[in-house]
Amino acid sequence: MDELEQWRIQLQQWSRQGAEWFHQMPETQLYAAIAVVFVTTFFLLSIRLFKRTKSNTVVLTGLSGSGKTTLFYQLQDGSSHLGTVTSMDPNEGTFVLHSEIAKKGKIKPVHVVDVPGHSRLRPKLDEFLPQAAGIVFVVDALEFLPNCRAASEYLYDILTKSSVVKKKIPVLILCNKTDKVTAHTKEFIRKQLEKEIEKFRASRSAISAADVVNEFTLGVPGEAFGFSQCHNKVTVADASGLTGEISQLEEFIREYVKP
Amino acid sequence: MLEQLLIFTRGGLILWTCKELGNALKGSPIDTLIRSCLLEERSGAASYNYDAPGAAYTLKWTFHNELGLVFVAVYQRILHLLYVDDLLAMLKREFSVIYDPKRTAYDDFDETFRQLRMEAEARAEELKKSKPVAKPVNNSKKQGQVQKVGFEGGNKKKGGSGPGSDGGDGNGRKMENGHANGNTDETKVALVANGKENASSNIGAFDVNKLQKLRAKGGKKTDTVVNKGSKVDPNKKITKKNRVWDVSPTESKLDFTDPADQNGDENAVIVAADEGESMMDKEEIVSSESETEEDEEMEKDSKMETKKKGWFSAMFQSIAGKANLEKADLEPALKALKDRLMTKNVAEEIAEKLCESVAASLEGKKLASFTRVSSTVQAAMEEALVRILTPRRSIDILRDVHAAKEQRKPYVVVFVGVNGVGKSTNLAKVAYWLLQHNVSVMMAACDTFRSGAVEQLRTHARRLQIPIFEKGYEKDPAIVAKEAIQEATRNGSDVVLVDTAGRMQDNEPLMRALSKLVNLNNPDLVLFVGEALVGNDAVDQLSKFNQKLADLSTSPKPQLIDGILLTKFDTIDDKVGAALSMVYISGAPVMFVGCGQSYTDLKKLNVKSIVKTLLK
Repeated sequence: MDELEQWRIQLQQWSRQGAEWFHQMPETQLYAAIAVVFVTTFFLLSIRLFKRTKSNTVVLTGLSGSGKTTLFYQLQDGSSHLGTVTSMDPNEGTFVLHSEIAKKGKIKPVHVVDVPGHSRLRPKLDEFLPQAAGIVFVVDALEFLPNCRAASEYLYDILTKSSVVKKKIPVLILCNKTDKVTAHTKEFIRKQLEKEIEKFRASRSAISAADVVNEFTLGVPGEAFGFSQCHNKVTVADASGLTGEISQLEEFIREYVKP
Repeated sequence: MLEQLLIFTRGGLILWTCKELGNALKGSPIDTLIRSCLLEERSGAASYNYDAPGAAYTLKWTFHNELGLVFVAVYQRILHLLYVDDLLAMLKREFSVIYDPKRTAYDDFDETFRQLRMEAEARAEELKKSKPVAKPVNNSKKQGQVQKVGFEGGNKKKGGSGPGSDGGDGNGRKMENGHANGNTDETKVALVANGKENASSNIGAFDVNKLQKLRAKGGKKTDTVVNKGSKVDPNKKITKKNRVWDVSPTESKLDFTDPADQNGDENAVIVAADEGESMMDKEEIVSSESETEEDEEMEKDSKMETKKKGWFSAMFQSIAGKANLEKADLEPALKALKDRLMTKNVAEEIAEKLCESVAASLEGKKLASFTRVSSTVQAAMEEALVRILTPRRSIDILRDVHAAKEQRKPYVVVFVGVNGVGKSTNLAKVAYWLLQHNVSVMMAACDTFRSGAVEQLRTHARRLQIPIFEKGYEKDPAIVAKEAIQEATRNGSDVVLVDTAGRMQDNEPLMRALSKLVNLNNPDLVLFVGEALVGNDAVDQLSKFNQKLADLSTSPKPQLIDGILLTKFDTIDDKVGAALSMVYISGAPVMFVGCGQSYTDLKKLNVKSIVKTLLK
């Protein structure tokens, strides 16, 4: 307590000295100083705004167990380490892709976010979507059919989010685990997802009167749904997180986050 | 023996796993633990039981919140490994020293782990041995406590768990005892004590913790002194320690740990730290408690007398950011939050568990600058609430109805609940909503018990112009429902809404009838209708309904409550806690909210507004 008292007295002294010094200064200098302060703050703010417009964030999303965290570490370190378990928090990292480390010259790092896929943690996705330059929707190609409906519902939710539609954020549907023999092909997965989303479109447009979460509807009314009808670009690619076959994913990232 | 030991980040990357133990686990206990326990805000519990075909594991875990690490140990359920908690704590301490967020491989940790494990095992052995040898006064005192705990456990056990597993456990324990005890005289006593402990450790690991504390107390005579005066007498400690070491044959093993610490500290200090772990903790807590008390007092002073000093220090603290949060720091804020939740009609049990889980997730975290403890706690609670209320499964019923339609099967919804919560009224509302979306609906009047129930439903059916299946009163509702579903399949109805009689959760015959109805007809959706007015009883209602549906089911995968319909939501103003209690206890989402008297008064739950109201 005594120490605090001393501190207080010390501070008061300093403030008094400062005020005296302030009065001695000529006015022009004061104005100049204020102007300098204003200009710098404006400059810094504008830099920040400018930076925002050119985002370098790529969001990895998809159902739990589809291999997002493995892909994240493949991108960052080029290895899946000892393996992964269900994520409880998002993984974030700003780094130069592992495959590009050897390259010369200055490469712009990518901010990759791996959002947990557990349905209880879905609200976290909304935090990252507004700043995303690209969304990677990871699908488990091995265990696709049992999870097909859940996956397409999640994808539907993402594709109808206002932040995604308005900014036309490109979406990559990444079929993971294709190193396994019994994995489905990406064409099959694309068709199945389109079919499921078509069904969702019917039920969701009916529900929208009661629920105002999805303001946007997908596709063209009266036509079968296809990903080509989306306002934003939706592409499909293969990958294998475990063996490190992620060239198509890296291509996608580099297409929207220029090196 | 331990089956597996893992260290991973909250992000999901496994940092280290014990290679020696490299047993392949059956099923995926770790993922199940995370999904159904840690993410459901149940991390306040102390252990989790995992069941898979051919495997029964118990999992224990501990968090390092500041670094975002999770330590999980897996072992066979039948073995009651007492040293696991100890081992995890030591592991946490040692690993946090070498942890570096950039590093992802910790091969060199193997050696440290081996030593820690030996140490922990030795200590467990030690405690077992030292128990009968301890002084009589001490012993009887301890036993009294143990017996008390055991008694509680016994009582609880009568209510719940089955006898099958119990017997197995008892055997295992006896065997352990057999080789732990040298003296035949005391074996008997120890056996009795152990048997009781066993009962208590069965009901939950909270008691296991308690027991370990008790055991620690039994081992250390000076403990009470330490508790009262926070001063530790080093001489006493060392002599006491020596006594313990002399008895044990594992001294060399324990000495072995000194190089492992690698801190280059004095030998004595390390030795003291090894044995007196709990004391150290206690001392720290005591001191910090007194500090926080001071702080609080200061805050109060500043409020009352508007002293500048208090304001200044509070300001300084908030700017600098406090060092790691401790349980004592969190307690006042958590208590306030719990009270607030309870005023919003959240069941007390639920509020308690939630606060424990939030405390577990915050303990050890650094408080960011410019924040207060209360706001940090509030933010954590908000996150937890959003997570709980966000549905785990799809609540898009229309989608499911369409899927069932494709398979040419009617989609069957059974409405269950206690008396007078509004099952029939809300059934009519759901029917109206479905009709609006071009789904053909049929009602089944399976309330064959209450007079006028069938007529009530018939009135609704006439107003909505939908078919109703009825067989009058005094019939078996399960059969009526079955016939109704057959009828619906014949005439091509998409949805069958089954109304059941209201029943109290304790009414055994009626619950049996309900279970029969559900099991016989295998409905697509069992909707629990509960009123939003309910308080603490919500927990009892839902858990008993679920319990009965599970217990009285014949199939290995019993159908439980899939969703909740919350009625009378317009009558409760801001006391929305029932929604939280129900969702937490059952894990099922709130699918509809009834909020008025007309057919149109059916809404969806708005998670954000509920959370906002709860924390207001």
